[in-house]
Amino acid sequence: MLAFVLVLLYPLLGLSARVGPWQWNGAIPGSTSSAVWNSLFFTAIALVIDVLLGTPVALYLARSGTRDRIVWEAAVLVSVLMPPLALGILLSLAFGPATALGAWLLRIGVPTSNSSVAFAATQVYVSIGYYILAARAALAAVPPELERIAALLGSSPLQVFRRVTFPLAKLGLAAALSIAWVRALGEFGAVVVTAYYPSGMPVQIWVNLQDAGMPAVMPLLVVFLLTALPLPWLIHLLAQKRNVTA
Amino acid sequence: MSLLDAHIVKTRSAFTVDVRLRLRAGERLGLFGASGAGKSTVMSCLAGIETPDAGRISLGELGLFPPSLPLHRRPIAYLTQSDWLFPHLSVADNVCFGLHNGERDGATKWIGELAARLDLRRLWHQPVTHISGGQARRVALARMLARRPPLVLIDEPFAALDRATTNELIAALQEWHVALGFTLIAVDHRPEILEKFCTRAAVIESGQIVQEGSWSSVAAAPATPLLARLLAS
Repeated sequence: MLAFVLVLLYPLLGLSARVGPWQWNGAIPGSTSSAVWNSLFFTAIALVIDVLLGTPVALYLARSGTRDRIVWEAAVLVSVLMPPLALGILLSLAFGPATALGAWLLRIGVPTSNSSVAFAATQVYVSIGYYILAARAALAAVPPELERIAALLGSSPLQVFRRVTFPLAKLGLAAALSIAWVRALGEFGAVVVTAYYPSGMPVQIWVNLQDAGMPAVMPLLVVFLLTALPLPWLIHLLAQKRNVTA
Repeated sequence: MSLLDAHIVKTRSAFTVDVRLRLRAGERLGLFGASGAGKSTVMSCLAGIETPDAGRISLGELGLFPPSLPLHRRPIAYLTQSDWLFPHLSVADNVCFGLHNGERDGATKWIGELAARLDLRRLWHQPVTHISGGQARRVALARMLARRPPLVLIDEPFAALDRATTNELIAALQEWHVALGFTLIAVDHRPEILEKFCTRAAVIESGQIVQEGSWSSVAAAPATPLLARLLAS
């Protein structure tokens, strides 16, 4: 086991590789800082949208019959299984100004290519499927009998969710959110097609690599890892702790 | 004047449940029959867990079906074979779950009586995951009665309990029936249990009520051979 873990974590040693003096900026001053800000800000927005849209869908899937669930989950799974680059191209084609929808959005002031909206929307597309599937599993683990008893004790559907379903599923929902966070924050293939500007961290790492080489990649890489990894790692530890104490 | 007036039609794979029940306020009915006779279907339709295919159910002036009244608007307490306590809450929060903020203060004395009678005081602030099966049953019973509902449905609630605990809980139920005056329907496949706290019996076979009356009249002249065998066993 130790040997396997060492092999698995070996790439982290790359952070100590001798690549020359690290430099924060690539070719354009300020671009790295704004990439960090863009990634954090738009990923947060994408996650809010994931939660608001994805939680009711996950709850519906968790409480629906087998046939319904298989059909709808298969549809959600398409977005999860889609290769990111293919998804980026499809999003560009489907929402581009050549389509009626894209032209209309552009007319009302919502540019669907190389814009903040395109960036956040792409992050939602790449992450919401993961959030829904993981949240569904968390919500399905709450026995529906408990929800029925709560309703029979006078709680409305919203109160049942707040008082019973959510408290029992919250760790699983947090895990779902952390998966969505990593997925949205780390997305490169789709975002590089739909929103090269405003660049997020993955695109900026690639740009810095092209323009200034590894020294301009390393600082941003560290920030990227520090913003992507701790949340899911902490949630995993919390889940393990609860399993031990339960 | 009936408090509960129900005609329930519900198709099952083996037969169709077609049952009419009328209970006056404060009446206690024991619904008795073999396993799989349709007793739990009747209870679940009354509680609103299942929707009947046809029929009509009213509780006083309140129509329960049709259309099916949402569960949270039904003034009904339902205790099943499983406790289904909320595992993330304490004993106190489970018992008081059905009381809204405004009601909690007014119900303090009543809740205190419930806790004392069911010996829950020393468990009051414990998580329900740390209590025994018998204690969990008491908590479920207290939670059910905390709202002082007009109709109480209990479906084989003593199935997994020892005789002493069963007798103790039946005695508590009888006391509260006198104090609160609720109408009660209890289901069990053991007549000796129902006889202890239900004044009237209704016998169900393959989804139909085959006999109704006092326990003595049912025991004296069972309407069907199956019922005679069940009473003799």
